[in-house]
Amino acid sequence: MKNKKCKSCGTELKKDWIALHRKLLDIDAKEFLCISCLADTFGCEVEDLEIKIEEFKEQGCVLFK
Amino acid sequence: MKRIIYADNAATTRIDPAVLEAMEPFTKEDYANASQPYSFSRKAKAAIKNAREEIAKCINAKPSEIFFTSGGTESDNWAIKGCAFADESKRATITSTIEHHAILRSCQFIERLGYPVAYINPNSNGVITVEALDQVIAGTTNLVSIATANNEIGTIQPIKKLAEIAHINGAFFHTDAVQAIGHIPVDVNELNVDLLSASAHKFNGPKGIGFLYVRDGTPILPLLNGGAQENSHRAGTENVASIVGMATALSMNCSQMQNSQQQSSEMAELICSILNAAEVDYIHNGYIDGLKGILNLSFRGKDGEAILHRLDLRGILVSTGSACDSSSTQVSHVIRAINVPDSYAKGTIRISLGKDNTIEEARIIGETLVSILMEQA
Repeated sequence: MKNKKCKSCGTELKKDWIALHRKLLDIDAKEFLCISCLADTFGCEVEDLEIKIEEFKEQGCVLFK
Repeated sequence: MKRIIYADNAATTRIDPAVLEAMEPFTKEDYANASQPYSFSRKAKAAIKNAREEIAKCINAKPSEIFFTSGGTESDNWAIKGCAFADESKRATITSTIEHHAILRSCQFIERLGYPVAYINPNSNGVITVEALDQVIAGTTNLVSIATANNEIGTIQPIKKLAEIAHINGAFFHTDAVQAIGHIPVDVNELNVDLLSASAHKFNGPKGIGFLYVRDGTPILPLLNGGAQENSHRAGTENVASIVGMATALSMNCSQMQNSQQQSSEMAELICSILNAAEVDYIHNGYIDGLKGILNLSFRGKDGEAILHRLDLRGILVSTGSACDSSSTQVSHVIRAINVPDSYAKGTIRISLGKDNTIEEARIIGETLVSILMEQA
């Protein structure tokens, strides 16, 4: 898979960030935000999103596999 | 610590500081087993007696009709199983498709043992009508169980009329009042119910304590067997501190009820007015005259779980009526039963406001919701 970049700042995306974007913003998204831009969008800290990612993984959410 | 706005009071409520204060002596110096005959147990015994009287007064029952349990789930299980097993000549139970899982799973349990259960569907407002009950009730019906108020959409049921139909047909009537007690007036004689379930943590009391009201003369077998506590109806050492806390909480909430209802109503109206002003496309689920603090909203084309997490990231805590079970989005049985269109159902959240919430918090909830819903993906 070609490396994807944040549609806002151009940072190279990690697969957890893509999963988070799909989980919390748009399940059908084709372009994604990095974790920092997601935090800006959601009005929260990056750390809050990192905790959410771990929680979704523990719940077995298939988006994060 | 980040500021939070707790708007999930239908899930549980904050324990009132006065309740904690009332409980404290029974966790420290007066820790005796209330069933022991020695003098050290007198305070605990007296506290249980007073609590039973206080709770009975709040729902217009006799103290001897109040049985302490571990909460709503035990009370519901006891009502369904205890009544079914008490009369082998009349084995049928009637309930609705929108009951709490403590009722539905108990009914499924007795069904597996050969006791017939009929499930009534609500109308689109979530109301169980007298006509619907009248169509399924028969001479073989032993018990009808319908919740006083629905925990997801807040619909208040016509309990008095439903109980009347049950009694005309020779059946007993149980109501799961877990979501209603302490929030709306509940009088067991006015409603003419035979059994009623309650749970303290839904009305600013402690978790792990509740009660089952059983009208004198209602045949019911114990759910838990063991010691002779609760007049040999419910075994287990009495949870004295929590019983005291429950009585204190119920008494306080009943005395503050009118103000709390008015405030909840204003907060709910404010949230809806903010959504309306922003022209958000949503359905307000449930009957308009339901519990004032419960706002069950379905947003078109949205994902309820995503809204929940997005609000959580902004410090606002609500529930969802649809959740991802790791592979697909599951819409709650209540939202399904009232036929919310698919395009809205997956975008369902429940905001439940309590006596600790403020108008300012309601404004923040409304505005934050709008900003999340209007955001371009």
